[in-house]
Amino acid sequence: MADCAGKGPAAACENEDWSSEVLSPSELFAARTRDHKLPARGQKDFLPDGSQRQSEKLRRGLEEHWKLVSEERVERQGSLVKAEWKPKDNVVVLMSPAGKFWQTMGYSEQGKQFLQSEEALYLMECGNVEVFYRELPLSVQEGYELMLSNRTISLQQYQVFSHLKRLGYIVNRFDASAVPSLYERQLNLVQKRDKADRHHRKRKRSRSPSRSKDTPEGQSQTRENTEQKAHEDTMSSREESQNSGSSTCMIPSERAAACSMEVKQGGTSEERSCWWDSPLVPQSEQTQDRQLHSPQRSGLKWDFSRISFPNLGLDCPLTSLQAPDPGLLPSAVPARACDVSAWLQRLNLREERLSRREREQQDRERQYKRGVNEDREVRSCRNWQDYKELLQRRSRQSCRKWPAHLWNEAVKPLTAPGQATSTGDLLQQIGMMQPSRLLDEAAGLVEDSGGMRISFDVYQADTVAEFKKSNPGKPYSRMCVCSFDGPVPDLRTLKRLAFQSGDVPVTYAVVDNGDISFYSFKGFQLPTDCCY
Amino acid sequence: MELETEADGKLEAEVQTETIMEMEREVKTQTEGESVERDPESDTRTGEVKRERETEPVRVCVSGSTPLLWRSADLRLVRERMGIVGTLVGSLARQPRQNCRLGRPLQLQLEEARLLKDTGRAVLVKGAESECDDDRVNVEVEESYTKHLQHSYEEQGRLALEEKKRVLERVMTERFRDDALTDQPIRERLSSLKSSFSFPRSAMMVQLCTARARLGYAPVERDWLAADWTLPRDNKQEVRYRVYQDLRQQGYYITSAGKFGGDYLIYPGDPLRFHAHFIAVCVPIKSESPISDFLCLARLGANVKKTILLCSPSETESEGVIYTSIQWSGMV
Repeated sequence: MADCAGKGPAAACENEDWSSEVLSPSELFAARTRDHKLPARGQKDFLPDGSQRQSEKLRRGLEEHWKLVSEERVERQGSLVKAEWKPKDNVVVLMSPAGKFWQTMGYSEQGKQFLQSEEALYLMECGNVEVFYRELPLSVQEGYELMLSNRTISLQQYQVFSHLKRLGYIVNRFDASAVPSLYERQLNLVQKRDKADRHHRKRKRSRSPSRSKDTPEGQSQTRENTEQKAHEDTMSSREESQNSGSSTCMIPSERAAACSMEVKQGGTSEERSCWWDSPLVPQSEQTQDRQLHSPQRSGLKWDFSRISFPNLGLDCPLTSLQAPDPGLLPSAVPARACDVSAWLQRLNLREERLSRREREQQDRERQYKRGVNEDREVRSCRNWQDYKELLQRRSRQSCRKWPAHLWNEAVKPLTAPGQATSTGDLLQQIGMMQPSRLLDEAAGLVEDSGGMRISFDVYQADTVAEFKKSNPGKPYSRMCVCSFDGPVPDLRTLKRLAFQSGDVPVTYAVVDNGDISFYSFKGFQLPTDCCY
Repeated sequence: MELETEADGKLEAEVQTETIMEMEREVKTQTEGESVERDPESDTRTGEVKRERETEPVRVCVSGSTPLLWRSADLRLVRERMGIVGTLVGSLARQPRQNCRLGRPLQLQLEEARLLKDTGRAVLVKGAESECDDDRVNVEVEESYTKHLQHSYEEQGRLALEEKKRVLERVMTERFRDDALTDQPIRERLSSLKSSFSFPRSAMMVQLCTARARLGYAPVERDWLAADWTLPRDNKQEVRYRVYQDLRQQGYYITSAGKFGGDYLIYPGDPLRFHAHFIAVCVPIKSESPISDFLCLARLGANVKKTILLCSPSETESEGVIYTSIQWSGMV
């Protein structure tokens, strides 16, 4: 070194023995019958004890190691694919037809075959491709220097790339614009679907009937009435049925008003079961008649045994209905027998087949939910007004019970007794922390200039046979390369990259001086007590 | 401190160890950062050729900010003479498609490269960055390459012919020992071999060089200047380097220990033959850490059966590095 330092850098090169690693023709020829097996390593010792045996073993081990490491790549000229490095585009163009690697690597453009720089370098290391630059073959060292730069990919990224390729994975460069968005996935614009989701045949909703049939104030009317109105509407002109429900409903109310006198005159004998006794107030023309005043006389109950509710369901199909008892109808509403077969056809009478999940949900609800009608007090109500009064009474009662020290302070309880209608509702009200998922609020995150990026798409090794470069499908994972010296990815980066990757998990490859470890972050949902 | 000094040359052949100690002693007496005029090794070595090879500088190439070694001679030199192990990160030529044993290049840690630089054993080689506009072909070099290839082809053709002849002769002598009549067709083949033999170009064996071959333009090589050191020398780097230097001087072999949660793995001898005994964690002498950090380290050490070594370089250079090992013990 003393000599070299004195003579200067240029001279130093000439003194070097450059050709020490270039093999002679006889060596090349002899390399045809080279052994391709790797020697196995023996057991290690614990402590050096200066013995001859140990030093001999070490010497032999090192010799074997150097023999392996210094071995050069020698290939048949005919099995090498010739290629050329194009520095302007940072790609390698193939000069002779590609080999087996073409199935998973490279791309075609304008009739020529190209390889990305990392793919070309990997194939150089494998001894499949001979890359030329300026008419001279590149050594692997020169390949590293030319093809790994900040314009292409870094050394760490190449180390991850080649590690995965050696394991057999198919690795492509990541293209952010090629990730289908959530919307596209929902619309099934993605070409290849993993598995067709077959939904259970749910009850299909038939076209909703026109408004005239679907009366808003249906609470106050029996089905009969609705049906009767419908019948009327079908008789009437089309335009009428198109009108808002209120106009059609005015008809009965008008008629009711007109007939109220009759009813009054008819008198309300207790023999006849009537819906209501009090006549309709004339101003109810405008409003829809919802006022069902409870009859002044208490104790008047409906005698359902005398009222026939025709069953138009699947189990008992009727096609004609009798004229109802006029006492059941609101005053001045005429009714007659009619044929409902046409209308029946428009009803959805199919049996509802629930999926297993829905059935299970129903079973669960049956255990916990109490139907309103099972409440004794509710059953004793005779009409809506009674019921509403009951509700008001109950809320007033519960109000009285509320302790002042809880409810009059600045800090109030999260929920009031009776406020929640189900267990799930209650849990929702008292829950302080909402469950959050990784992709919440991830849509708008912007990458900062020095941030981590996804580098590669990785496809599994066993899909090589069906792999198509033009349509690779959904990758197995996406790789983000980070260094051991760098920071651990923060939540913001995790969210951003997970969102960018769509529904493919992101794996972080951490490179520490040649050793690569893989980490991934998975969202975890805490189990809920009950589903609601 | 529970370390045993193993400076008595139990590691390798005694001669080599002594040489290392000599070198390290020489390093200590020199000022840092200057490339040194060194006398050739003293009398233990014979022959000028050998002497030159030892003093030959190692060529370090940098990819990004990572130092790499490419030539097998360089790898061998730094390992056997200086105890620098590094990590192999390329594909192995014999079996490129596996991950168990890798081949060249050898990736050096920053501390290892810095040691090479400080002892003046290495030169930095600037890479062959392609100048986009300069695609001119160097005609002379190309011609010499073509000539070289042609020569190789002819030689190999000749060797192939000779081998075929030998095969035929062996067949003749083994099978038709006593019968001079029936080996006539083989004789005829043998005589017409030269004319009928063909060695196609595609059958020629070609070498794909790993390190830069002479073919091609010669890169710029120079002594490593302080300005080439691209990474900032912050306190953390300094602490690590001092620990590395000290341990190396004591004869331990050091590799990186990222996967073990520490800074270095310390081997009593060459990693090829021995397991690591310590995981070194570099801690600045004045830093404070919560006790939970030490608990983590202790747990880690217990799991992998290695001793955790906390290394803190003292304030002054002369006092060396202070080592503390953590041992998990029960209250008896």
